[in-house]
Amino acid sequence: MQKILLIIKREFLTRVRKRTFIIGTILFPVLYLGLIFGTGYIANKTRDNLKVGLIDRSGLFTEKLITDVNKNDTLNILQLVNTDPEKFKRDFDSLNYDGYVIIPKKFNWQTGVDSNRLIVNTKKSFGVNALNPIEEKINKIWNKIKHDSLGLDAAKETILGKNMDLRVNNEKDKNANAGVATVIGYVCGFLMYFILLLYGSQVMMGVTEEKTSRIAEVVVSSVKPFQLMLGKIIGIGMVALTQFLIWIACIFIIYNVSTTTGGSGGASAMVGKIQEVFTSVNVPLVVGCFIFYLLAGFFFYSSLYAAIGSAINEDMREAQSLSFPITMLIIFSIALMTPAISNPSSSVAVWASIIPFSSPIVMMARIPFGVPNTVPWWQLGLSMALLIAGFMFTTWFAARIYRTGILMYGKKPSWKEMIKWAFRK
Amino acid sequence: MNIVELHNLKKYFATQKAVDDISMTIPKGSIFGLLGPNGAGKTTLIRMITGIFYPDSGDIFLKGKKFDPENDARYIGYMPEERGLYKKMKIGEQALYLAQLKGLSRNDALVKIKAWFKRLEMESWWNKKVEDLSKGMGQKLQFVITVLHEPDLIILDEPFSGLDPINANLIKDEIYRLAQNGTTIIFSTHRMEQVEEICNQIVLVNKGKKILDGTVQQVRQDYKENLFSVQLENIPPVVNSNAFEIISSGKEELIVKINQGFKPNDVLGYFINTGNGIVSFKEILPSLNDIFIKLVEGTPTSRQFQAIDS
Repeated sequence: MQKILLIIKREFLTRVRKRTFIIGTILFPVLYLGLIFGTGYIANKTRDNLKVGLIDRSGLFTEKLITDVNKNDTLNILQLVNTDPEKFKRDFDSLNYDGYVIIPKKFNWQTGVDSNRLIVNTKKSFGVNALNPIEEKINKIWNKIKHDSLGLDAAKETILGKNMDLRVNNEKDKNANAGVATVIGYVCGFLMYFILLLYGSQVMMGVTEEKTSRIAEVVVSSVKPFQLMLGKIIGIGMVALTQFLIWIACIFIIYNVSTTTGGSGGASAMVGKIQEVFTSVNVPLVVGCFIFYLLAGFFFYSSLYAAIGSAINEDMREAQSLSFPITMLIIFSIALMTPAISNPSSSVAVWASIIPFSSPIVMMARIPFGVPNTVPWWQLGLSMALLIAGFMFTTWFAARIYRTGILMYGKKPSWKEMIKWAFRK
Repeated sequence: MNIVELHNLKKYFATQKAVDDISMTIPKGSIFGLLGPNGAGKTTLIRMITGIFYPDSGDIFLKGKKFDPENDARYIGYMPEERGLYKKMKIGEQALYLAQLKGLSRNDALVKIKAWFKRLEMESWWNKKVEDLSKGMGQKLQFVITVLHEPDLIILDEPFSGLDPINANLIKDEIYRLAQNGTTIIFSTHRMEQVEEICNQIVLVNKGKKILDGTVQQVRQDYKENLFSVQLENIPPVVNSNAFEIISSGKEELIVKINQGFKPNDVLGYFINTGNGIVSFKEILPSLNDIFIKLVEGTPTSRQFQAIDS
């Protein structure tokens, strides 16, 4: 026991003291948020801003109506063509228009056009939603024309414009907020995915390093191979946990600091968002479950990675081909996460969050939707119990491969041979 | 008193009888040579004595008691043939860690490491990393780490490979010093001249079996071929005696083999009678190298894969 503690301490300290750990701890959330906001920002930035000419042959689309709708959205412009239409059709490209729409002469204020379809003539290709703003503008103008023709005044228009909004009121859980839960679910699932892959491969490389530098033989003359393996896995698991706790602490600090100082502009918006999270999600439960699934899932996968690490030699390509099935399990879990989040009570979501290999990621994606409403207690309990049984099995299995592999040099074994090692007396 | 006793040890692998029924005793305080060609089963045998492998059958006794790998690790220091240290770890910390794994307390370990580093002039290495060391320096460090916790039994697998003569002598002196203080040293090698020089007892294994066991003197006596070197003032052109045969003749020296039933005196008597001036007369004992080659020759140089039915 004393010796396992020594091994854990060494594994933990050598990693935490490394500059890469400190940089990773700070940089990862920055990059992660950057990725989320960055893609949103870029998507916004690169949206096409259109300038479309409108050739009105019906005489209904007046300059005034068009300038009115342009006031609301100044990025996508609809412009009435006053010059010679034939000339415009020829030259719209050089006049910096993206295209033009012809309102035909037979356009009727009651029925529009026969096919209910207007054509934008252009020399470009557009994205799926690129034409939506222009479509909206044309329809707005037509609505205005209809209202005017029907003799509706502004007051009546507002009455007509009134709409209903449907919101969920979960009677069992007053605070449920599907939007926030979805975001938290995604964050938890992906975080789990990154931690499992990142630290799993660290275990694998650590074991291989001990084997190829031949230190393993020196160490196993002092401790049992199982102790060495367990010490490494627990030590690296503690590193992962430390990193996670630092992130959680940072969120709490930001939350507390920003609520006391009040903040302004962006900061207060963020506080509002965080407050929304705290009111609609059971944060202590989510964090607690995350720690459980982080550790249990890590033990489940990293012991398998340790077994692979013990089987391979210097060649990192061997590592890739042998670890492929394990990595596939993790990737498959993340693939199951998306349907689980969009329908957290579906049978796919339930079973994927109970079966050990996918449960760390899928269950963590479901928990923010609420326990015990979306995830009944029995499911959570069963999932946890099975995961504990699962990691006990993988650790046992891996230890038996490890004790043979760590001292075996030469040819890379196949999975079949490794399984034979595991079940040998 | 014997520090190690092995009784009928067996370890079979899938395609090899790596150790096939070996028994031996190693007396306390001896420098014990474990010899054998490559793949003879030396490493497997050592791994069982160090508790890395469990024997398939047979018993190991350490210090008179049944060997318990978990608690007896601190009595054993093992330096494997393939040297291994954490490349990126600082040398001082590494020595401390490995000593603590052997069961030393932190303070104890610290005192002992400082003393060893001082004696072998390694004090400036403390904050360096292993990857900064040359191969020879790495060897020296590995040796220190092996003996640091003052084990009763030290197992050295090819300890001198890669060492320059000065450092090899340094390590050799340390081995002698440790043996004098009562430490037992098992010395695994196939460099026979080193064995002859250092060891007082040897065991030769081949193909998983023990084929020779005894003190160096005894073994050489056992395998002597009654060869003598006779140095004469002038070599007679014809030598005719039924007491001995001439194996080779040099400028001033004859190598003779005494026939069955005759004694060295008969050789000397012959030359006294013929009137040749005798300068010197001495017995030629076979070197361990000769014995090794004689015993191992004829068996396949590398071990063949064999089917094991178990």
